[in-house]
Amino acid sequence: MQNRVVFLLFLLPALLVAFFFVSALTEIFQYSFREFIPGSLDVGGFTWANFARINRPIYFFAILDTFWLAFLTALFALLLSYPLAYALVRTEREWLRTLLIILAITPLFTGEIVRTYAWTLLLGTEGMINTILKGIGLIDTPIALMYTRVGVVIALVQFAMPVMIILLATAISHVNSDYEKAASNLGASPGQVFWRVTVPLTMPGIIAGFIVICAWTMSAFATPQLIGGGKILMISNVVYLTGFSALNFPFAATMSVVALVSAFVVLALMKLMTARIENKIAIH
Amino acid sequence: MSKFNWRSFLFWTLIAALLLYMTLPAIVVIMASFNPGEVLSFPPNGLSVRWYIKAVTYPDFQIAFKNGIIVAALASTLALVFGSAVALLVSRYYFTGRGLLETILSAPLIVPHFTTGFGFLLLGAHLGITQTYLIIVMAHVVLVLPFVTRAVYVSLQNIDPNLERAAANLGASPIKSLWRVTLPLMLPGMAGGWLVATILSFTEFSASLYVTASRTQTLPVAMYNYIREYTDPTIAAISALLIVITTLIMIVANRFLGLRKILAIESH
Amino acid sequence: MSIVLNKEMQAVEFVKVTKSFGPMLAVNAVSLSIRRGEFLTVLGPSGCGKSTLLNMIAGFQTQDSGEIRIEGKDVSSMPPYKRDTGMVFQNYALFPHMNVRDNVAFGLQMRKHPKHDIDTEVAKALAMVKLEGMEARKARQLSGGQQQRVALARAIAFGPKVLLLDEPLSALDKSLRSQMQVELKELHERTGLTTIFVTHDQGEALSLSDRIVVMSKGEIQQVSKPLDLYRHPANGFVASFIGEINAFPVADCIVANDHVRFAFGENITLRAPRRDGQPLKTGDKVNLFVRPEHIAVAGQPDNGDPRVTGRIVTHIYQGTHTITRVTVPALGLVELRVEGGDIIERRPVGSDVDLAIMLDNAVIIRS
Repeated sequence: MQNRVVFLLFLLPALLVAFFFVSALTEIFQYSFREFIPGSLDVGGFTWANFARINRPIYFFAILDTFWLAFLTALFALLLSYPLAYALVRTEREWLRTLLIILAITPLFTGEIVRTYAWTLLLGTEGMINTILKGIGLIDTPIALMYTRVGVVIALVQFAMPVMIILLATAISHVNSDYEKAASNLGASPGQVFWRVTVPLTMPGIIAGFIVICAWTMSAFATPQLIGGGKILMISNVVYLTGFSALNFPFAATMSVVALVSAFVVLALMKLMTARIENKIAIH
Repeated sequence: MSKFNWRSFLFWTLIAALLLYMTLPAIVVIMASFNPGEVLSFPPNGLSVRWYIKAVTYPDFQIAFKNGIIVAALASTLALVFGSAVALLVSRYYFTGRGLLETILSAPLIVPHFTTGFGFLLLGAHLGITQTYLIIVMAHVVLVLPFVTRAVYVSLQNIDPNLERAAANLGASPIKSLWRVTLPLMLPGMAGGWLVATILSFTEFSASLYVTASRTQTLPVAMYNYIREYTDPTIAAISALLIVITTLIMIVANRFLGLRKILAIESH
Repeated sequence: MSIVLNKEMQAVEFVKVTKSFGPMLAVNAVSLSIRRGEFLTVLGPSGCGKSTLLNMIAGFQTQDSGEIRIEGKDVSSMPPYKRDTGMVFQNYALFPHMNVRDNVAFGLQMRKHPKHDIDTEVAKALAMVKLEGMEARKARQLSGGQQQRVALARAIAFGPKVLLLDEPLSALDKSLRSQMQVELKELHERTGLTTIFVTHDQGEALSLSDRIVVMSKGEIQQVSKPLDLYRHPANGFVASFIGEINAFPVADCIVANDHVRFAFGENITLRAPRRDGQPLKTGDKVNLFVRPEHIAVAGQPDNGDPRVTGRIVTHIYQGTHTITRVTVPALGLVELRVEGGDIIERRPVGSDVDLAIMLDNAVIIRS
């Protein structure tokens, strides 16, 4: 009997939070189908017009750009994070592991604004990168990094790396180093060990990392906003633009729905792929 | 006489380069924060703390800081209580709809922050609380709850199940057993989760941009508004402060709570 | 008419208890009475149901059907924390955030003993397990053997009705294990607590128990005193599980007035004098079990034991004795136990040897 009371005690908070979250999302869904009345925050009746509006080039390309930039970010983040994650897990020096963890994880907690601002200092024509490159004589005129896709991706990749490192490190740490030692013992060079043992066994983590970063990057806002400067538009920027500048809440809601659906589609893809890969290599 | 291992040398050079890439932003910000002039130059031609003074005395930032502390404290404490309850619920009870509940509660990790923020803005408008801390706290609790739940859940899983059986065997009722055995052992996980929640709430931007009003805006939102208007290094100073404080907290947390346990990374 | 308490009241009773986990039948209609104050071991291979039995007494599992009684009372609906049993877990399960004193005092605190009494009772319990003065140590700082003793002290401190031990010695190394076995037995003699001990180690069971319950696949195979179990196993499973034994293949029986002949293939027969009350008839099919210590290298004089000849395959030297394996036609691989190690030199591997089989102590089971 005590059990029942305890159970309800634990269940209630969960239901409360779930309820409010679902309510917030429901509001968005509800608004996305409502007619926009320009110049007012009131909304009209049911309409498909908002969803039809997505076809306009500017919005359509914003959606495509979101996917494309997310893909690029995930790809580069994966390539750059793997060595760090590997070093983090396999090193025998504890101080190094601690250092790597702190350096890799802390950026996660400093917040979007701080990190994006820092990149504006680096990427500008008078920014640090250009200054250094000019200083050592590699270039004569500054490279345009701000307000370009390249600049946005450079920043987004650096944002994504802590999360990617955590995910990869978890996956790598679940692969017993004995497998690598066995391969080496049987004559495999370090490169062969890496490609034929480590990578296949960490594949679930690789896929998970790639897709999580993809979904996560699709929701980035501050970076495309400040570094893109209005020239690079992702879905998040469109929502902000239409919501706060034009006060077109219905359309902002519609684009939010698009963002939501995209994120979930990407994630469903991950579940499918990981399930298949995990069956092949029989690791949890 | 040992052979020079060029493979190892290359690898560690790569690691160093990658670490530089990851820490460069922080370095730049700290450098820029001491820049004497309004226009940034690299390298800075002198050292000055005037921007720090400006940042700390800027009224908007002071108000935003206060708002951020209040919201973070409320949100993280609520998230701690709720998150621990959810972790206990999920680790002990099987009931219909459990999977669905778990999915809903972890969905904020996937749903873009701006979507969640926007949704709560609309909800807040309906409830008439858009000018209050309440709507911000609600949004933040939803956003940070998965982190707290995960940290507490992991620490729960690490508790030897025989311990609770032993407590029951020795005469402890379920509530007594929870209080005297389970809860004390959950404490490190709870502390870690609470810390993560506090930091995440204080630095949260995308959702806060929607749910804060000008009177209730948190520090990141105030910073964003400043950046859009001014280009002086005041933001650099505030950012540098945030970076240093966060790093210190992380180091302390690692020492006492073991970041690895919270993030579930084992080492071989 | 007043009700007199029966001194021989059973401490724990299982009445036709059955428990399944999904499709797997863990305990199959088991009935068992455990007497007050006895040291009973439940012995069997992993998966035989022994831990399930223990968990059901403690209340961590509930039976599907049947009754479980503790001191005459049906406890089926009683939650674990009301059952007054003291359990020692395989991994000790000491509370890591408490020191030794708080661990041992836990059961007393749950029963709301007055504080000054608790300290004395804790000291008493620790003295019983030879850990006096260790109250302030943290559980984490103790060695495996010490942790085990604390777990014991914790379980007995509040005076449980039954002491339940779930393979408590399996995590200890060999020498520590033997030492703890002796101490457990002494503890039992001092406290007189009804003790139910679960293990898969038959040597342990034989040395510690008043009675042994042998289980296999959820069913009780035999309940006997250790000596009886060893000498008179009830069936083939018990015969093979307890101690070492040679299992000879099925043979035909030819029963005469004064002797019985067991005929194996290839013209090998073993002849034994007829025992009183032997129920065998000519034509019965039986399995014959003979312990290694009842087989010897045939010497002079011939005292009537049946003899066979075989070839030596291995010598396994054990210090005090040697186990020699011999292949014998029709009987297969036969193990005999020889004192000392001289046989290794005198009869090298590959040589032929005559064996005398003492069938007086053989276990004959109808197949």
